[in-house]
Formats: sequence, structure tokens, C-alpha cells
Amino acid sequence: MNRENDYVIEMLHITKEFPGIKANDDITLQLRRGEIHALLGENGAGKSTLMSVLFGLYQPEKGEIRKDGKPVKIHNPNDATALHIGMVHQHFKLIEVFTVLDNIILGAEDTKMGFVQRKEARKKVEELSKRYGLAVDLDAKVEDITVGMQQRVEILKMLYRENEILIFDEPTAVLTPQEITELMQIMKGLAKEGKSILFISHKLNEIMEVSDRVSVLRKGRYIGTVNTKDTTAVELSRMMVGHDVQLVVDKSPAQPGKTVLKVVDLHVPSRLYKHDAVKGVSFTVRQGEIVCIAGIDGNGQTELVFGLSGLEKCSGGKIEINGVDITHAPIRKRSEAGISHIPEDRHKHGLVLDYTLEQNMVLQSFEEPRFQHLGFIKFDAVRKYAERLIEEYDVRSGQGPVTIARSMSGGNQQKAIVAREIDRDLPLMLAVQPTRGLDVGAIENIHKQIVAQRDAGKAVLLVSLELDEVMNLSDRILVMYEGEIVGELDPKQTTVEELGLYMAGAKRQQQGKEALA
Amino acid sequence: MKKESFWEKAGTRSVLASLVAILIGMLAGGIVILIVGATNSTLGLGGAWEGLRLVVAGLFSKGRDAAGNLIFGFNPTTFGNMLFRAVPLIMTGLSVALGNKAGLFNIGAPGQYLAGTAASLFVSLSLPTNVLPTWLIWLIAFLAGMIAGALWGSIPGLLKAYLNINEVLACIMTNWIAANLVTWVFEGSNLKNVLEGTKSGYIYKTSTVMNDVIIDGVRQTVGANVPEGAQVVATRGGVATAKLGLDSLFSGSQVNAGILVAILIAIVIYVILSKTTLGYQLKACGANRYAARYAGIRDRRNIVLTMALAGALAAAGGALYSLSGNTEFFWNTYQSLPAEGFNGIPVALLAINNPIGVIFSATFMSMLQICGQKLTELTAFNEYITNVIIAVIVYLSAFMLVIKTWIGRLRKGKEAGK
Repeated sequence: MNRENDYVIEMLHITKEFPGIKANDDITLQLRRGEIHALLGENGAGKSTLMSVLFGLYQPEKGEIRKDGKPVKIHNPNDATALHIGMVHQHFKLIEVFTVLDNIILGAEDTKMGFVQRKEARKKVEELSKRYGLAVDLDAKVEDITVGMQQRVEILKMLYRENEILIFDEPTAVLTPQEITELMQIMKGLAKEGKSILFISHKLNEIMEVSDRVSVLRKGRYIGTVNTKDTTAVELSRMMVGHDVQLVVDKSPAQPGKTVLKVVDLHVPSRLYKHDAVKGVSFTVRQGEIVCIAGIDGNGQTELVFGLSGLEKCSGGKIEINGVDITHAPIRKRSEAGISHIPEDRHKHGLVLDYTLEQNMVLQSFEEPRFQHLGFIKFDAVRKYAERLIEEYDVRSGQGPVTIARSMSGGNQQKAIVAREIDRDLPLMLAVQPTRGLDVGAIENIHKQIVAQRDAGKAVLLVSLELDEVMNLSDRILVMYEGEIVGELDPKQTTVEELGLYMAGAKRQQQGKEALA
Repeated sequence: MKKESFWEKAGTRSVLASLVAILIGMLAGGIVILIVGATNSTLGLGGAWEGLRLVVAGLFSKGRDAAGNLIFGFNPTTFGNMLFRAVPLIMTGLSVALGNKAGLFNIGAPGQYLAGTAASLFVSLSLPTNVLPTWLIWLIAFLAGMIAGALWGSIPGLLKAYLNINEVLACIMTNWIAANLVTWVFEGSNLKNVLEGTKSGYIYKTSTVMNDVIIDGVRQTVGANVPEGAQVVATRGGVATAKLGLDSLFSGSQVNAGILVAILIAIVIYVILSKTTLGYQLKACGANRYAARYAGIRDRRNIVLTMALAGALAAAGGALYSLSGNTEFFWNTYQSLPAEGFNGIPVALLAINNPIGVIFSATFMSMLQICGQKLTELTAFNEYITNVIIAVIVYLSAFMLVIKTWIGRLRKGKEAGK
């Protein structure tokens, strides 16, 4: 048989509707045996819905699924498993207190007289792990291992079940750059061994590097399938977004004004360990500039932001907003003093997921006179306000202001938070990984809005783990390493390599220059 | 945007799910009755059939006619008693529902109920009626009950907010502390009923009129009739909830204005939860404490406030029940907790934590109790059959979400079939 037409899975003309939205509209996806097939699309384009259909979680209204050319019905995940389809979810489905081995065999245990045959299972897993280069510690508990290793455990789970079709749902969102490189190698190895891989992503460089073919979805519609070697990142982004996208932020030089945020010798305790996570940090942020805190995840950035926003009590030092000391002020007072905050974890802090979109839009401002009278909520005013934000910031959802936040796509949830925080119009904005997990279109949009805030004279403190974002967006870079600021860099004068040396702790400047400022 | 039809609304499905739970509960009870009847020689299938009819329509039972057949029709007495008994259930149901909305499981309603009962009894039986009008004493007693409940409820609230102690554990402990405390306090009081010689272990009814008198230089308490030569120092008691004509509407029953107070409070709680910034805050804390804190909402204060409010509601139930004037409180209660407190949990579950729904689910629960009573009065069955039905309904209310999904699937199946 011609390899070109040797499809292991075909999804033909799939249509799936939800109340108020057509999530999949006549989508066709054909996966060849032994290829890495990328599925590209913005948030809310219908990628997850399509995969849920393949996995039997949703039943399509129209369309047909074929395995090895024969039509099949997939009613539930068990059917999918029987067809040797396996999936690594974006948020891992592992039991934290179980060992790696137990997690891998869970649900597919070989038993003899009711006893689990761990020895044989271990042999099989060890073999797989060697064959595909998936290093894991079988006896470690999942809660103790790194995110990268957790992902390898998920992959081993699929291989242990002898799955032929492997789906990776945005697998790189949670990984460090080194782990991403490693994963790419693993995926190529799997494909070489004859596994067929569906790779869901919106990161263009990863798709360009690893995939053989790319299918693009936009707003629930099928745009087309191209060979990766015949296309470019710019071409793909145009297919995905529908218009030309600027991959580089366009901004004029900063014109800093007076100091808005002044931090002196700040200490913030760590939640995990006894010592401080932030150890004596001093810096300022002025009007009209974007200062970026760069660093590898876990070097005190999260705690620094908690200390500034009031989510964590500071153990020493001083914070001033426009000359007002807020070191010991509660969150509400800080907010009133002038801090808006796009939080790192949008599900934990940013939104009340069971509230509607409009309820979430007034999360901080519901007590302002414009939204309440004598303690009674002015529902009309809230509705109007939410409708304006939805319109202005292009927040898409199934049912507008009354959509439950949980049912919205990640990108639109983030857009809603950004809209809310920008519209509060406060002198300082803390933006923590504001584009995490978003697609290029949304990233471009949010970057533009942050630059617009700067140009409007706001002080912006950006915390980011993405080097591209750090280099592109910031006017000044402060590098954090093990709870201290080890260097201040000018993005125009520095290189990614130099930044990397500071982030890794291999290089540091003398502190004190900033403390005097 | 497509507008949701009546059947697609979440509210419709919730109500349907509750009704299905009730229906299955009744069915299970019916099956138990049939089996018990069929296997019991004194009852037989005829008796089982009678039992079945009483469980479904006990509210409308009018006893037996001369020929020994069950007769049914509107019975104002049982109807009124149903409403009377629904009052404490509405209040404890509201208490649990409010906690659930704010993400706190208030299993402390029995203790709070006791606190409300004790405080309102103390005040209503201690304040002199020759100085204050009885309606004012009623009001003070009612408020004192609510305040006592609020204080009692805020203890687990404070422990949860500031020491992160699980509210369920703290609530269970405060329940038993309340039971012992109440026994201890009444033990040493002069409110034990000694005027009616046959009673022991009970507190005076709030409607009992007592006179503190001095006879031959000795101070003692006598009833309404003052002996000659005695000098009256104070008159106490004689406090009872106003009837507002409800007693003539439902003649022969214990119903009083308490039911109106309970309904009014349920509406107030509904308005607070759905229309005010306070409700917005409480629900936000319940749905996501971290996001609430991020937004500057004082989550700790809200936890304490929720528990205090929940305590006040449960206590109001105790106060309304004991202030009715025709109920007696068994003060020697250190070994048991009031069932009304725990029954608040199924009432709230069945109402899916909706304060208006609580009025109906509480009335339904109280109707089942009446049916159980009729069953024991009129047949050889015992009332525990109704407990079986209640238990099945409570059990099913935990599956309400599953039933909701079924209903959703059924609808979808029908639409696909069109």
C-alpha cells in the first residue's frame, strides 16, 4: 500500500455543536501511520473538542471516524482504548501518592489470583523505558518527581497499554526549554518505531521542528493540511489567525516618568521551605516603562509577586506605591493604592470558575457605587460593564456575559482577566506570565495592550519565563536567581545568551546600584 | 445566541432531579411497606394497601369511618401541624444551605439549635411580665436565641478562619459541648417544671404562668393561682407566639405565626444571597477562596460571618419551636442532639441550597413525619417506615447530580430522535 494513503485514523467531516457555538464544523483530519501530525489552532478553535470526539468523550452530530480504513463508533474512552488510541492530557492524570510504576499499570494491571504481578509489569516497563529513552524512577512517588518526568510517566502509560495512536495535548506548556528539546527527541523516536502521533499545539517553532504535516483549524473550521517542510512559521500563523501576525512587538522607546513602585530590601517567606524565597530585593518601576523580572521558574518570582500584591505577608523590607507605604496593607488597600494584577494562576486566583463572566468582571469592583446601592447589586450596570469589556477586548464565549467562566477556553479566560485588570486603570500593573498557554493571535493582542498601558503612563512590572517575551516586551530586565536580583540588563544591549548566564546563576552584578536610586 | 428553552434551564433540571429523588424514595418506601405487609399475618395485603395509601396521602387522612375503612379529605389539623413542624426544619435547612453556598459544611446546626432553644427559654421564662409586655419579651427571647446561635456558630467559624481547623470536626465537637452545657445550665436553674407533678426532666412551657411569691417570709414559685396571704414579687411566663388567626384556619392544630416568620427569613436569605454584595462575597469565598482573597475580599471575615449567620438561623428554628408556647423542652439532653438540627442537611440538599426551595423541602419532610404518625395511629405499621423513605431520599439527594445528567441525556436523546 502506498504510504501516502496508509491512514491509521481518519476523522471525516466531523461536526459538533454546543449551545450557542459550533465547536467543530465539518472538520477532516487524516493521520498517517508513523507520522507526527500537528494540529494547530488558536484557543477555542476546536482542537480539544475534536480530540474529545476521537476519544469518545463527545458524540459528533455528523461525520465518521475510520480506523485502518474501516468505520468505527467510539462511544466512550474505553472504546478508544480498545482501538489503541492513547492521550497525554495537558494536565496530567496521575495519582500523586502512588509510585511511578503503580501509576503506569493502574487500570491495566496483570493479576494472578487477585494479586498484582508487579515484577512482570516492572520488567515490561523497564524494557519500554529503555527502548524509547524514557528515563523514569519507577519507585519514586509522583509528587516527588519533576513535571518532565511526570510527562514521561504519562507516555509510558500509553506505551504500556500498547497504544498505536498517541495524542499529545499541548505537551510543552508546562516544560522547561531543556525538557522540551528532550520531548521532541522522544516523539521522533516514537514515530520511528511506527507509532502515529497527533501533536496539539499552538507553538509554531515546535511544530516546525518536530512535525511531518500540519492541519490547521480556525474558529471551528478546517483550514487545510500542509507538509511542514513546504511551509514557514509565518505562513502557518496566517492560516491559524486568518490575517498577518506580527511576531515581534512594535514599540517606541520608553519615556520613564516618576517612580510608581519602590521596593527596598524586601523579604518574602517561602511556602515550601523554612527560609525566605525572596531575599532582600530592591528595585523601582517608573511611569511609562515595562520592567521585566526574568528567571528560571522557582527562583522567587512567584513569591515576590505575592509579597507585592499582599497574597503573602512580607517578612522584611518596604514597599511604596507613589510614596505611600503599603508594606503591611491588606490586599484591598493595595488595590486601592493603585495595583492591578494579572495573576500567574488564572484558575486559582484569577477567576471564580463557577461564576459567570460578568460576575468575574467585577470581582474587585463590586463594592464601588457604580455597581451597588446600599449593598444591592446593580445588575444592569454590571451587565452593561461586562458587555463593554467583552466587546472592547474581544472576549469570546458561548453565551456572552452569562457564560460560566469554567466553560470558556483558556485563552478567553485570560483575555477576560486582562480586560478586567487593564480597565481598572491603576498606576501599576503586575502582569505575571500574562500570555502563558496562549496562541500567537492572543499573545500579540495582549502584548499590544501592555505596551499601550505603558504608553499611557502606567508602570508595568512583568514576570515572564518566556525569553522571547522578556526580550521583546521589556524596557528593563531584572534577573532573579535564588531569591535575589543578580543583574539589571537593557534588552537592546544584551543577548539571549547573556541573559541565560544570569538566569542560570553563572554571572551576577553587584547589587546596591538600584537600592540607592 | 440561542435562548435556552424551559427544559434546558439548569433550574428546571434541578427541580426535576429533586422530584425524581422524592419519587424513588417513595417507591422504595412503598416496596418496604408491601413486603412488611405481605409477610405480616396481622396486616396482610389489605393492610399493606392501607399503609401505602397513608404514606402517600397521610396528610389528607381523616381517620376511619364506622365500617373501619380509611377516609380521606382535607384535614385542617394535620395540615396546620405540618406547617408547625416545618418551621424548625426551614430554619435549620436555611442554616445548612447558607453554609453550603459559602463552601462550609455546617453540621453544627443541632448545637446551634440547642443554643437558640436554651437562650430563648431562659429569657422568656425569666423576664417579669408584670414589667414588660409579653410581645416584647417574645421578641427579646427570639433575638437572644439568634444571638446565642450566632455566637455558638462563630466558634467553628473562627477556628476555621484563623487556625484552619476543619469546620466539620469543630461543629461536631461544639454540638456535644452544647448538649452538655444546656443540661448543666438547666440543671441548676429554677425553670424545671415542678408545678406539674408528673413531669420530670422538662422545662416549663413558655406559656406557663408563674408567680414568684413570698409566703411567710419564704420565697417560692407558684402557678397562676396565687394562694391567699402570699405577696407577689414577680409574674413570669405566659409567652407564646401569636396565632394571627392561623389556629382558626387550621383548627385543632399547633400552627402559629412562626411559619410566617420562617418564610419571611427564607425570603430575606434568598435576597441576600442573590441580590446583594454580601451574598456575592460569600458565594465567591465558597466557590474559590483563593480568587476571593486575590480580589481583596476578606475571606476570613466571611467565613466567621457565614458561620455566625448559619448559627443564628438554626437557633431561630429552636427559638420559634420553643416559644410557640405548647412545646416542652427535655432539658436532660446531654446524650442526644435534636433531630431537627441534622434534618436541616437533607432539607438543604433536597432544595439544592436554594432558600426558597428550603421552604418546600422542609414542608415536605414535615409532611412525611405526619404520614408516619398517621401510619402508626391507624395501622399496625410503625412510623419507622417513613424514616426509611426519608433515608432513601437523603441518599438519593447525594446522587442528584447523576439524576440531573440523566435528565439532560434523556432530553438530548429525544431531540436526536426527532
